[in-house]
Amino acid sequence: MLRVPLSKALPNAVKAVCSPKRGSTTLAKAPEKIEVFIDDKSVMVEPGTTVLQAAAMVGVEIPRFCYHERLAVAGNCRMCLVEVEKSPKPVAACAMPVMKGWRIKTNSDMTKKAREGVMEFLLVNHPLDCPICDQGGECDLQDQSMAFGSDRSRFTDIQFSGKRAVEDKDVGPLIKTVMTRCIHCTRCIRFASEVAGIDDLGTTGRGSDMQIGTYVEKFFLSELSGNVIDLCPVGALTSKPYAFTARPWETRKTESVDVLDAVGSNIIVSTRTGEVMRILPRLNEEVNEEWLSDKARFSYDGLKRQRLITPMLKGPEGELLPVEWEDALSFASKAIRDAGSEIGVIAGGQADAEALIALKDLINKLGSELVCTERAFPDDGAGTDLRSSYLLNSKITGIEEADVVLLIGTNPRFEAPLVNSRIRKAWVHNELEVGLIGPCVNLTYSFDHLGEDPNVIEEVLSGKHPFAKKLLNAKKPLIILGSQQLERNDGVAILSKVQQMAKHLSSKIGSEWKVLNILQQVASQVAALDLGYKAGVESLKECPPKVLFLLGADECAITRDDLPQSTTVIYLGSHGDNGASMADIVLPAAAYTEKQATYVNTEGRAQQTLVAVTPPGMAREDWKIIRAISEVVGKKLPYDTLNEIRGRLEQVSPNLTRYGEAEEANFYDQAVELSKEACNKLDCEPLEVKYKDLEDYYMTDPISRASTTMAKCVQAVRKQKESKYYDSGTA
Amino acid sequence: MAASELARKGPKLVKPILSIDHGEARRRVLNLYKTWYRQIPYIVLDFDIPKNIEQCRAKLREEFRKNAHVKDVRVIDMLVIKGQMELKETVHGWKTKGHVMTFFKDTQEPKPEGFLAKFISGTN
Repeated sequence: MLRVPLSKALPNAVKAVCSPKRGSTTLAKAPEKIEVFIDDKSVMVEPGTTVLQAAAMVGVEIPRFCYHERLAVAGNCRMCLVEVEKSPKPVAACAMPVMKGWRIKTNSDMTKKAREGVMEFLLVNHPLDCPICDQGGECDLQDQSMAFGSDRSRFTDIQFSGKRAVEDKDVGPLIKTVMTRCIHCTRCIRFASEVAGIDDLGTTGRGSDMQIGTYVEKFFLSELSGNVIDLCPVGALTSKPYAFTARPWETRKTESVDVLDAVGSNIIVSTRTGEVMRILPRLNEEVNEEWLSDKARFSYDGLKRQRLITPMLKGPEGELLPVEWEDALSFASKAIRDAGSEIGVIAGGQADAEALIALKDLINKLGSELVCTERAFPDDGAGTDLRSSYLLNSKITGIEEADVVLLIGTNPRFEAPLVNSRIRKAWVHNELEVGLIGPCVNLTYSFDHLGEDPNVIEEVLSGKHPFAKKLLNAKKPLIILGSQQLERNDGVAILSKVQQMAKHLSSKIGSEWKVLNILQQVASQVAALDLGYKAGVESLKECPPKVLFLLGADECAITRDDLPQSTTVIYLGSHGDNGASMADIVLPAAAYTEKQATYVNTEGRAQQTLVAVTPPGMAREDWKIIRAISEVVGKKLPYDTLNEIRGRLEQVSPNLTRYGEAEEANFYDQAVELSKEACNKLDCEPLEVKYKDLEDYYMTDPISRASTTMAKCVQAVRKQKESKYYDSGTA
Repeated sequence: MAASELARKGPKLVKPILSIDHGEARRRVLNLYKTWYRQIPYIVLDFDIPKNIEQCRAKLREEFRKNAHVKDVRVIDMLVIKGQMELKETVHGWKTKGHVMTFFKDTQEPKPEGFLAKFISGTN
């Protein structure tokens, strides 16, 4: 499998073919900075810098359509043409490396004329449908034709033959295509093949017959497909769910954080009339770069469906009846008072840190320690006492530096798509070697499949396995362990073996490089463990409490059958899902777009969501509901405002309020020593992952389960599977 | 330095609005109070409000008591002027029944106090 396009993979070979003499001489020299002049401003740049990059260094932005920093250079839109002194023709700034002493003119008559010409050619075949185009207001073509285009048209269609028209493609339920608007910048093609790793898009035909498409009739389905909408400089690829709903200038943008996986992608929530209109990625080089996974981007319609909008109590015939807050609070408090200290909590995957700490404080005040998370984690050994055992210690950016990655029992492509895109980035640009222990899934890059048996971990640890040599020879090896494996019966043994392996490798390297990484699956887990929640519901199953409090727990870790009839279940959450359906008292809470709340991602990076819209109906912010209950119960919690509760968060775990920073973990060696004492027997049951296929990816939590868009995606994947062009190896 | 010290210590002379000392201000307040007090039976009659004379006099006392803490002569004067304006508007019939009733704030609901009340009303 060739990792990069030919020109990029073999830069020296291509150069040698083009100009054998120069290629050999420049290679020998050490890189020495060369001086070039942009609009008579001198700038020193490394050899090989393109004109466009050199101009950017002095703050001159050259207009472009096809060029994009994170994609390979195509050089086909010609919009970045600039004049170079003593050169007879303008040069394409994005593809041309600068030469010593070049004087580049980005504002000369020749440059302006070149741009105007390019604009004219592009507009000849571009429809005049801006008023009904969804890209309107954020269209590069629109903006640049205003800035660089001609002020009058020479387009007189005397034969009334019309402009070029291209048939629209159906590429799935997420992306709307209007191919007539396409200007053939090929950004989408490059994104698909380089970043997403799905070589589905391409071009057919030449000249004015050129078309972008999937060659055969099929959907463009990838967990990152939505990003081509942002990349498209015109309105050829737009968002299907967002079509004709809002204009960019009439929406309000709120910076927030995604909570549908443990990556904590930074997002911008666009709202209008108290509704979320769309979600876009926000640049954060350390987390999601400028990409966003499809679940985070498109499941926002789930925020409007299946919502709990009023408190509810179970009626005489087992049906839930809407009540006022006063009644709900008094019933809940009565149940809690009657239970005394026999009360337990299960925190779900989208619980925020404020709600977690408020609930833990309340339960502890009542004299119980049964605060659990839905996802299990081995209790033996160091357990969750040492943060290094449950974090992605090398950080997401660390993946880019790694040279060997061993994935154990995880499918990062669907558990954390943006972690997977980082691995793929390193695989493309950094000659990364990947090994996988677990089910053989498609990760969009090639890897050594070491097997599904957990005993392979033992083999790699003891050095018997051939992959062990690669790990030992690596300068920056990484081991990424899926948190799902820690829920197994032999989870402690797996964790222990992996910790030993990581210790062995890091002692060999001897630097600060962190080898051990745990990839969490849900947004709340790290914060919950930081705050001292017990992982897993085993202790609740052993002695079922009289009152069970579900904080957005919808994964059925405990079902009604595990509990005695007398147990009162209180559900606090935003959606009517599995948790609400087994509850006796339902308290409606805010979703992540409706509250200012703290989340900690799998790296241990605290981030906060901001209020984009108000909670629907009578729903309230989670921690305030708990605070209100505490007052009615008579165990008043000592915080009334967000600042006060964050002060409490800081008391318990100071890293939770240092927003944007990933707190380092430590005590790796101690964790290994402690885990050695625990049971070390591996089962022979093969490792299993929850999300194997694209259709498993879309609906994983209450919000995405309520989303029609996500349901359509699942449907589309199933339909694609029946297609004769479907190839399970590449999908 | 000495000059600024003097300036600080020197008597603060301000231009009076009406009264030159506390005694005079007090006299004006009492005058206003008495005028209102005597007018109340006519107000009850003219505006046909669902309050009796005692209730109105209690309200009058309450409104005056509200400013009992004011010590500044100029502020007292200002309040007296405002009170006179209110009285004039009432006597001349520039106010309607509704305006008079707003003194009693019958329809105004008190704002929720405390976390729980605010929580239930959804205002926190």
